[in-house]
Amino acid sequence: MPGCRHRPGGARRTGNHAPHRYGGLYPHRLGDSPDCGVVRDREGYINLLRAVCTRLAREKIAVAYQAGDVELLQMVRTLDELDNVINLLSERAAEWHQVTNPSFSRKYRRLPARKMLDIIRREARGGLSDVAGEINRLTGVRGRLMREVSTRADEVMPNVSALIGGLVAARLLSRAGGLSALARMPGSTIQVLGSEQALFSHLRGGTPPPKHGIIFQHRRVHNAPREVRGRVARVLSAKIAIAARLDYFRGVLVPEFIDDAQRRIDEAGVVA
Amino acid sequence: MIWIGDVLVSPGEGGVYGERMLEGYRVWDPRRSKLAAYYLLGGGLDLAPDMRVLYLGAANGTTASHVADYVDVVYSVEFAPRPVQDLLEIARRRKNIVPIMADANRPDEYAPFMEWVDLIYQDVAQPNQVEIAEKNLIFLKPGGHLILMLKTRSVDVRRDPADVAASARSELERHLDVVEVRWLEPYHQDHAAIVCTRRG
Repeated sequence: MPGCRHRPGGARRTGNHAPHRYGGLYPHRLGDSPDCGVVRDREGYINLLRAVCTRLAREKIAVAYQAGDVELLQMVRTLDELDNVINLLSERAAEWHQVTNPSFSRKYRRLPARKMLDIIRREARGGLSDVAGEINRLTGVRGRLMREVSTRADEVMPNVSALIGGLVAARLLSRAGGLSALARMPGSTIQVLGSEQALFSHLRGGTPPPKHGIIFQHRRVHNAPREVRGRVARVLSAKIAIAARLDYFRGVLVPEFIDDAQRRIDEAGVVA
Repeated sequence: MIWIGDVLVSPGEGGVYGERMLEGYRVWDPRRSKLAAYYLLGGGLDLAPDMRVLYLGAANGTTASHVADYVDVVYSVEFAPRPVQDLLEIARRRKNIVPIMADANRPDEYAPFMEWVDLIYQDVAQPNQVEIAEKNLIFLKPGGHLILMLKTRSVDVRRDPADVAASARSELERHLDVVEVRWLEPYHQDHAAIVCTRRG
């Protein structure tokens, strides 16, 4: 069969070489390859080739999906999607409730969405009440999923999670597109993951560069005094880059590294 | 190429991705497929029934399925697991698509499954698109063609697309004769089809 003498890495050098270099190894022209008696004609060859390639691809896909980060990616994206849906529905429900109550207004009342929904559920009837009830249930689903994401992130990326918490770690993972991608990113890229709009408007010219993206969600960044926030973000993201590599290549928590990193990040937050 | 009025179509079993059918032919939408856009904008390199094609960056296999309607065999290379799942399903129902899960950057990994081809069609969103094309030239017959769908934004978002295309062209001209450079506006922004012929 053509191609049956498969030697992985046999044709390591690539480029614009003359094809006859591989003439003995690969079936560039079927007529040239020796007849091993496996297939009769070209149709048979292509069919066998398709079967082999399909099977190889299936195996590769299965291996790719085995990695722990693949499902986490879907989980965190579902979580973000749930947030969107809940916000949209809550806004809509509030608008709806307001037009059924001419005297109702949210102004001058501290009415977070949750309380607002409780009011709606009590006062409204029919479809609106149903919607409010569903939003409440979705909120519950979101809460449970969030804990699940956090737990899974602790397992899949113990070091990054130790630095910035499971949820933010998972969001970074989602934006990077996987643990292997995150582990290959420089700290400066991790620093601005999630602020792509600001970054590209900066690169195109004019606007100041973003100091932080997703990592802003971590308390040490958003609680830091303004004048050192950029520095905290920079040090933190540099440590996350190292942590991601530890997670990817070792997969276990490295306490010495975490202790040192925490200290360095805390130092960065001190105003001189 | 087969036209019904000014609609580009391909002959084959429909229902691959919900494409419209016209008189029993599959409508090939230029907004979804860069190759269709190339033909609609007057591209001259037609697909022929005896062609063997290497398709780099086959993704979900929508364009690959149209190409397969026209040619002898399509070696479809795609790296990402999720789209390969779809590609496998398409290859299951089309006897002339060979689905290869591999990185187009590493032709040595799929060389065992390849033969010489008449056409290399490449549509990959990588910064080193030109380099990938060059690496795969080992599969192209002398006198064969390369259609490189240059995604200028993937090469460098900061550079002017025309600039990116010009330097891609001069790089390709080291090994190939560039026949035409065709921008795919209005169907696809900042994409250019670069058609080349391998010197005999």
